[in-house]
Amino acid sequence: MDYLKYVDANSFLHKLDPRTKFAFFVAMAVVTSLIKSFVALAFLLVFFIIIWKSCHIGTHILTLLSKLKVLLLFIFFLWLVLGLFQKPAAEGGPIFFQTTFSWVGKQHVFCFDWYDFYKGAVYSLRIFLMIASFYTVLLTTNFSEIILGLRKWHIPYSVAFAIGLIFQIIPITINELQAIMDAQSSRGLEIDKCGWVTKVRNYVTFSFPLLFRVIGKGQSISLAMHYYKLDFSVRRSAYKAIRASRLDTYFIAANVVAIAITIVLRVMFYIPV
Amino acid sequence: MDYKVNHISYKYSKDGRTVLDDVTFSIEEGKVTAIVGPSGCGKSTLLEILSGVIPALISGGELSGSFDKPSDSLISVVSQNPENQLFGYGVEDAIAFGLENMGIPQAEIASRMDYVLDLLSLQYLRSRSVANLSGGQRQAVCIASVLAMQPDILIMDEPVSSLDPNGKSLVQMVLKQISLDGNTVILVDNNLVWSAGIVDHIIGILGGKVVFDGSKEEFFQDFDLQRKLGVIIPQEVELYRGLAPYFPGLKMFYTVEDGLSQLAGRVETKLFPKNEMQEESEPRSIISVHNLNKVFSDNFHALMDVNANIPEGMVVAVLGQNGSGKTTFVKHLNGLYKPTSGDVRYRGQSMLEKSVAQISKNIILVFQHPEHMLFEETVENELTFCARMQKIPFDQEKITDVLTQYNLLEERDSFPLNLSMGKKHTLTILSVLFSSADVIIFDEPTLGMDAFLMRQLEELIQKLKGEGKTVIIISHEIPMVFRTVDHAIILNKGKKIFQGSRQQMADRDDIFDSIHISMPPAVVMSKALGFGRVCYTVDEFVEEARTLKKGEDE
Repeated sequence: MDYLKYVDANSFLHKLDPRTKFAFFVAMAVVTSLIKSFVALAFLLVFFIIIWKSCHIGTHILTLLSKLKVLLLFIFFLWLVLGLFQKPAAEGGPIFFQTTFSWVGKQHVFCFDWYDFYKGAVYSLRIFLMIASFYTVLLTTNFSEIILGLRKWHIPYSVAFAIGLIFQIIPITINELQAIMDAQSSRGLEIDKCGWVTKVRNYVTFSFPLLFRVIGKGQSISLAMHYYKLDFSVRRSAYKAIRASRLDTYFIAANVVAIAITIVLRVMFYIPV
Repeated sequence: MDYKVNHISYKYSKDGRTVLDDVTFSIEEGKVTAIVGPSGCGKSTLLEILSGVIPALISGGELSGSFDKPSDSLISVVSQNPENQLFGYGVEDAIAFGLENMGIPQAEIASRMDYVLDLLSLQYLRSRSVANLSGGQRQAVCIASVLAMQPDILIMDEPVSSLDPNGKSLVQMVLKQISLDGNTVILVDNNLVWSAGIVDHIIGILGGKVVFDGSKEEFFQDFDLQRKLGVIIPQEVELYRGLAPYFPGLKMFYTVEDGLSQLAGRVETKLFPKNEMQEESEPRSIISVHNLNKVFSDNFHALMDVNANIPEGMVVAVLGQNGSGKTTFVKHLNGLYKPTSGDVRYRGQSMLEKSVAQISKNIILVFQHPEHMLFEETVENELTFCARMQKIPFDQEKITDVLTQYNLLEERDSFPLNLSMGKKHTLTILSVLFSSADVIIFDEPTLGMDAFLMRQLEELIQKLKGEGKTVIIISHEIPMVFRTVDHAIILNKGKKIFQGSRQQMADRDDIFDSIHISMPPAVVMSKALGFGRVCYTVDEFVEEARTLKKGEDE
């Protein structure tokens, strides 16, 4: 379960001001929610791949992809099935099967065509890019930088600290769950060679010790906050300062160009979905 | 000035039992005070009161008495588990956290950070991330982060309980430096093995009451009290305790060197029949490991071409520093990890195709932390969990016997997670008694145990061996390992560097030097004094020393 963790490296993305990366995520989230053109999204994917390759986080993105495959396939087939009851919005592509039928007194069309695949691919790609942009920030920004970045955006320290703490705790909780699963299977609880129902039931069983471990961790963390005199009502000082550099400028410029090209491609190759 | 704990009594609720009863003692400024006592004696509650957690975070209890200190005193704590204490991704972030909370200006933070990192010789960790540090390094950074806040009193709660020998030496060095620098330290730990040379003052607590308040020298002379408190003491002190009645004038010694210099010339030397002892017949293997390689997804090569045989019906230790591959190795034995290449066989049959649960019928692994294992509603159900999973019949009589023998009968219907840490440990270990497995693996079973529990564990291991079971132990408690095991496998950086009997292991000082682990004082001294055999326990050493004692006129 080696995911959802910051990757310690020295790439250009790691060196960026966290605010630049937050802005990258927000911009990409907006772009991917507005743009529904496959060609434009495919270009954006290429742009992302260049970023991932240059930052050596490609394998982590593949891990994310493998974790998301069920969700992405579900989205793909959902839109494919919904598309079976519509005619293509654009002409020119192959139609594999077409018929009409009546149901509850109404005439319906059943059309299995290229457009069903197109819609499935567009929606899956949008979701993947949206999640991947967030994950890119997560992989290259540690939780101390997240807190610093949020504070620079004048987010109250209590909120910034809570967000940073979540990212500190997530990997710990995942490790705890893995340890509990290992411990229980080592005592004879079958979790590998069993059906889905048993698997789900086992996960419910694991949640019990996990809950206690998480509560225990929470108590330890609150004790540590007490030992370190953390008081949100008192003004804190800051040891580290973050400052945007020339790299941030280049990265923002590259993103502006990429988004502009995406918009142009969307206009040129738009197929309504 | 000194700090005074003044007639403190405490109950967690008005109707609850008295956890601390009229506790009074002084904490001397600039000294290291150790608070010792068995599991459940009230040490942790006292720590919570001294650190202000009670009543600031835990209210609702009944507290009387006072902790007399100047009102602006800063008291900070280093907990057992730095993973839960350090805030911040990098070492600098973690050290700066407390200082930022106190509103210290940036320049002052930088200066204090330099000071603590220099003081504790940790500058080399400065740009590292906390997640990539070893256990000992993390604990050292945790101490640095607290020390940077310049507390008037630094409380350390079992700071080395989860560390390997390297980690212990690092924290030991750090604590020594802190005490030389004149800091006031309270150490809450029932294991004085690592801190005996540093502690100045000892407070013994039993049943919530102070039963000892004196110097380290006085404490180590009071053998009955040490036993009553379940304190784990250095084996040198145990040796002195055993030898003192037979060697008049022997002075307390805390180091092997001191012990050797005092005993030199007072015992006869025998020739050590080295070659004879090394020729031992090859024991029958129950598990065999062939060319085992493990490479993790991040390309970390955890095990490299390991070949090993686990002899049947013996107690086998797997030794090595943290990161040497011990846990990875045993997780291959019970199927939790599948080899990148190589094979693991149980009674000649490969186990690669079997699930962990299927393997558990033959090989069972007991994890370090009881909270990972306990999830039934009652102690009885927890005890029989393995048996029910493996569909092994059991009877009520056996359950009652086991619960009675290990003082758990009263808690038969209790919720396991409400038990004390010691009892939780015992319960997870006992559940293997009801399993069909004939190989039992304990991963760091002594974690957080006091001397009573450790003794109980040793007895249980011998009982399992007596029943013909094979027991594999990963442990950093080297004296316990030498007392208990028949055979050992030593790993270093993923490679097997030794496999052999306890006798052969005791003969390999070179191996122990290379992995920076010290052999127990009884072993080292019996070899250095030229006893006829290597002594693995204090009793064996005392017996041999008595036999070889020279006449008084000599």
